[in-house]
Amino acid sequence: MKAGEYEVPEGLYYTREHEWAKVLPDGTVLMGITDYAQKKLHEIVNIELPEVGAEVSQMEAFASVDSVKATSEIYAPVSGTVVEVNEELLDRPELLNQDPYGEGWIAKIKPRSREGLEEELRALMTAEQYANYIRGLEG
Amino acid sequence: MGGELRRTHFYAFHVGRARMGEFAGFEMPIWYEGIIPEHMAVREAVGVFDVSHMGRVAVEGPDAEALLNYVLTSDISSLRPGRSSYSLMCNERGGIIDDVVVLRRSDDAFLLVVNAANRSKDLRWLVEHARGRDVAIRDLSDDVAMMAVQGPKARNVIEPLCDKPISGLKWHSFTDARISGTEVLVARMGYTGEDGFEIYIWDAPLDRPEKALRIWDAVLEAGRDFGIRPCGLGARDTLRLEAGFRLYGADIDESTTPFEAGLSFAVDLGKEDFVGREVLLKEAEKGPDKVLVCLKLVEKGVPRHGYKVLGTDGREAGWVTSGTFSPLLRRGIAMAYVRPELSGPGTELLVDLRGRRARAVVVEPPFYDPARYGRKRRAGM
Repeated sequence: MKAGEYEVPEGLYYTREHEWAKVLPDGTVLMGITDYAQKKLHEIVNIELPEVGAEVSQMEAFASVDSVKATSEIYAPVSGTVVEVNEELLDRPELLNQDPYGEGWIAKIKPRSREGLEEELRALMTAEQYANYIRGLEG
Repeated sequence: MGGELRRTHFYAFHVGRARMGEFAGFEMPIWYEGIIPEHMAVREAVGVFDVSHMGRVAVEGPDAEALLNYVLTSDISSLRPGRSSYSLMCNERGGIIDDVVVLRRSDDAFLLVVNAANRSKDLRWLVEHARGRDVAIRDLSDDVAMMAVQGPKARNVIEPLCDKPISGLKWHSFTDARISGTEVLVARMGYTGEDGFEIYIWDAPLDRPEKALRIWDAVLEAGRDFGIRPCGLGARDTLRLEAGFRLYGADIDESTTPFEAGLSFAVDLGKEDFVGREVLLKEAEKGPDKVLVCLKLVEKGVPRHGYKVLGTDGREAGWVTSGTFSPLLRRGIAMAYVRPELSGPGTELLVDLRGRRARAVVVEPPFYDPARYGRKRRAGM
């Protein structure tokens, strides 16, 4: 769905800090930043990725992106172990602007348990809720 | 402070076209299409900036020269009419109250261009030191609009608009002229490292911005074939940082002195009395406690204001005052205060990027190759 000019794909979970999370069939969680985030940041020129193997908690700052003007923290949408990061972004940070839900994915997190994941997902927003949330921010 | 943001004469152009943001109490364009394309337009062709947020103060009267010579650090008596100069206003402790440009319009008439955030502070300081002198101080900021046209093609854009030739103007000189019938002052100067001009539009009250907007449009029209772009404050900041120019409030303030900031060229200790002279004389003798340097990262990462700088031994060395991604170098660049012994060009340092230590090296400004970019570039490049 769309909220104004912003793409908000259905089936993903969203944070108030504008990360998305997608539960993959193997139970791991792919994450990145939303279309709203990349449009607000504009011209992303650098990313600091987390280390593979890092243990993260839900809504812990575990990465950051730089636009020309500013550095912004990226928060882990769920707790777990970082099992993969998108190293392509180191050479092509512009993918975060061009394809935030696809080639611009940032990290894959393996949750500690299925039950724990389900509880954490309840704290995130659905596409519809997130669309309303950013409409509210745009005022 | 608080309350509504101020707007400049050119607000009607920006709104709807630019991402707007707050700067020094003004609602200003940050970028239109993007900082990188606007930055590159200025390095390679030409760009136009709204700089009306800056303060413009007339200092006029028989004692104008004496007042400015007393409150500014450089020698104003040697500034000839038709010329302008970068200067500093210091307090008694040698701390920088503001960095300014002084334009001498005649023997006893000057125009001071001051930082937006310092307008009222500077005015108070000037008025305080004008007591007992035959001098009038007037804030013209709301009645004079100001724009900057910057880049190697700026001359080609401005020349045909003016009623007189301006290509012969030397750097830091200015002339009165007319653009589409309107009286303006055209000054060859800028804050980007490139050739360029500032246009001061007289008799342009904020509530009647039509005249200023007409000139803005005329400049954009005249620049179309040269690839002109309107540029926001985002590109203004990346351009000045690549050129090595200090920004008040980030790199310099009342806790820094001209010697620490590498601005001794704007201080004339030989002239008799001026505010801050005693302290600055002592500092010139013993040397500053910290030194502002330009840092280029030699690995990826973008330094920002407030980040720590360390020696290669891991010991604390100083802090970043300005940092950005250089669109031209495609690297992180910064200015930082460091201990004097670590300030020599070629010194290797580390910048703490929120936990990751990135290697950096002290370089001489500008950050770009002056043979290829900037106003002293070789012709044909």
